[in-house]
Amino acid sequence: MTRSPHPAARRVLLPLVGVACVLGAWEATLALYRLPAIVLPTPWSVATALADLITTRAFWHDVGVSLYEFAVGYAIGVVLGVAIGILMGERRHFRMAATPVIESLRFIVPFAWIPLTILWFGTSYTGKILLVAYAVFFVMVVSTARAVAQVEPTLSRVGTMLGMGSWRLAFTVHLRAAAPTLASAARAAAAIGWIAVVAAEYIGASAGLGLMITNAAASLATPVVIAGMFVIGVVGAGVSAAIGTLSRKWLDYR
Amino acid sequence: MASIDNGIASTVDISATASPRLSPRVRAWLLGLAGTAVAIAVWSLLSHWLAHGGGVINRLPGPIAVVRELVQYATSDLASDLLASLRVFAIGWLVGAASAALVGLALGRASLLGGIFLPIVEAIRPVSSIAWVPLSIVWFGFGLTSKVFLVGLAVFLVVIVYAVDGSHRVPADLERTATMLGMNEWQRFASLVLPGTLAEVLIGSRVALTAGWGTVIVAELVAANSGLGAHLIAVEQSYNVSAVMATMICFAAAGFAMNAAFTFMEQRLMPWRHDRARQER
Amino acid sequence: MTPSAASSIDERASAIDRAKQEVARNTREGELLVDRVFHRYSTFGRQTEVLRDVSFRIAPGQVACVVGPSGCGKSTLLGLAAGLLRPTAGTILWDGAPVVIGRNRHLGMAFQQPGLFPWMSVRKNVAIGLRTRGYPRRDARRIADEFLHTVGLSDFKDAYPSQLSGGMAQRVGIARALALRPRLLLLDEPFAAVDAFTRLKLQQEFKALLALTRPTVLFVTHDVAEAIALGDVIVVMTQRPATVQRIIPVAREERHRASAAYARKLAETLECLGVTSDMGDEH
Repeated sequence: MTRSPHPAARRVLLPLVGVACVLGAWEATLALYRLPAIVLPTPWSVATALADLITTRAFWHDVGVSLYEFAVGYAIGVVLGVAIGILMGERRHFRMAATPVIESLRFIVPFAWIPLTILWFGTSYTGKILLVAYAVFFVMVVSTARAVAQVEPTLSRVGTMLGMGSWRLAFTVHLRAAAPTLASAARAAAAIGWIAVVAAEYIGASAGLGLMITNAAASLATPVVIAGMFVIGVVGAGVSAAIGTLSRKWLDYR
Repeated sequence: MASIDNGIASTVDISATASPRLSPRVRAWLLGLAGTAVAIAVWSLLSHWLAHGGGVINRLPGPIAVVRELVQYATSDLASDLLASLRVFAIGWLVGAASAALVGLALGRASLLGGIFLPIVEAIRPVSSIAWVPLSIVWFGFGLTSKVFLVGLAVFLVVIVYAVDGSHRVPADLERTATMLGMNEWQRFASLVLPGTLAEVLIGSRVALTAGWGTVIVAELVAANSGLGAHLIAVEQSYNVSAVMATMICFAAAGFAMNAAFTFMEQRLMPWRHDRARQER
Repeated sequence: MTPSAASSIDERASAIDRAKQEVARNTREGELLVDRVFHRYSTFGRQTEVLRDVSFRIAPGQVACVVGPSGCGKSTLLGLAAGLLRPTAGTILWDGAPVVIGRNRHLGMAFQQPGLFPWMSVRKNVAIGLRTRGYPRRDARRIADEFLHTVGLSDFKDAYPSQLSGGMAQRVGIARALALRPRLLLLDEPFAAVDAFTRLKLQQEFKALLALTRPTVLFVTHDVAEAIALGDVIVVMTQRPATVQRIIPVAREERHRASAAYARKLAETLECLGVTSDMGDEH
């Protein structure tokens, strides 16, 4: 592999070439196959659809609803997940007792719970919140348990030597040492939680981003559908980036 | 330092330094059983308590009702539904993994192509394939193609990272050995790059099992004409909560079985990868 | 008083009585007595005997260096003395009473890995032990600063462990242990992980530090020269399952590295460990 003389320029230019290729292929497909706009709209129509959405209040209401459901569920899931994870990491017997239950429930993918939440909670917010909490909980509990149990043993011995009792040790040393791992788990959990909200709204909702997209698909407004997918991606990326920055500021010591 | 580590490992449970009454494995089993029993007991209690006007969740069938439904389902439609879902999954998974292997190999080795297209792949990756469901329905309708596309996309997005990684990661000492032996470009590719990439693709394909199987159910929930997901929607719409729970359990059991089978095969085929594969869980 | 507190006091009382009966000696304050200690641990169902019938006594203010082949259980012995482990059989007495499992306020310990908390600054690392023992923040910081000054790291008060070299981190670890003003100091090969030159410097500094507080010291090392340099007494252990082979006293004149007495002491200790002192040509 020969080395390019301008690596920085490469890193910026090439992806732009890539985007250009994609757009080019898009337009070419349109020209070649003469597909109806319902199936493959022009890039421009997608852009205008996106611009229209951004200027509509209903859109922001939908985004707000989805974000609210996500945020509340995420908070619940993280708190419960970390708490139980710490318990599992610290108390060996509890971990041995709880592991089969948690491992088997983990195999029931969050999406499989969607019909049940609809049966129980209808299209209300509570159902989606609980779904997100469930999905996030399982990611966090497993990571926390593992991270807490794998803290460098010397640190534990130091803590005991300095006079820390087992719970003070758990919070001031183990949890703090495991924090960077928990931060990356929190980001993964956010991704899963966000997609769980959207999926739930695809299937049964009264408001939200997913519902908006499903409605657009039903009325064959494909540019809106694609614009909506773009929004899903952007919001997801935004949440992930926010968690990443916060955790790097507060938790990372490496 | 080994001794203090081993000793300290049992500090929390001091009795380990005395002669243990039960071997740790037996203890783990018993505690696990106890934990499961407690969970089932809580479930039964909740279902009793909620059955008599417990608010929002006014229908929580107990474990026995669910098991009854499970048996009934198993002796009727389970096999055909499961097969339908597995068919969707298998095709999608194979297509997704194979295309990810090819694309990943190409993008990984040809640095120009990689520079152009990998950033785009990286940008799309976080957007789960589930976001594509409405679009897929517009494009492919409610049939098999649509579901295979979604599953394939989900698997592709997971495996591509492993494929690109694998094509890059030829250990330096193997490279040097190849040079010493005087291999040409093609031989290097065939003996070093290809096996390495394939090994990584296999590991990634196993990780993608859960993502793919989960996508199957979402696809079938939306395009509900066959498979476990369709059955799930059907019983949901007839308010048969115990059947809903029974179907969920079937789905989870199938996922677990596939994961176990795949891990077993992976250990047999690539024993030297065993430890790394364990970490990827 | 809760029932459990009452019963643990009872237990402690009867343990003390038993110890006093078994040991017909005058136990004194500041003395560490290891009495017929056996220790086994089990991993994956297999039992390994690590210590077999280990007995020795460290007088108050004395420095005892434990040497022996690697893996012989020296570190386990330290863990037992620190109350991090409970011996399978036998007792360890400090101040005449058996060592309590768990937190022990009388001791300070330095480990082979410095074990600094990476998320805390150097000063906070040294202060945290004092905070745990109830010192108010300002006092803890002041004492931490003092001890950091003693080990020569005042300029690095606000640095983080990742910015320190191995030797510096070890110094902080020792400062942290000493800041607790322990009456019993336990050290697990603290200078093993640094290069030879740093090690010699640290040994020198350490001796100076000991002169300040005169704690009773149990120092585990694999380096015989280090043991002679630092110890009042050398406890030579056998291979696993380890027992005490010899207890060799070290006199002041034997510490001078250029003296014949030193050479003799070195040879004597090495011989105990089964190492010949004559490295003459073999061809």
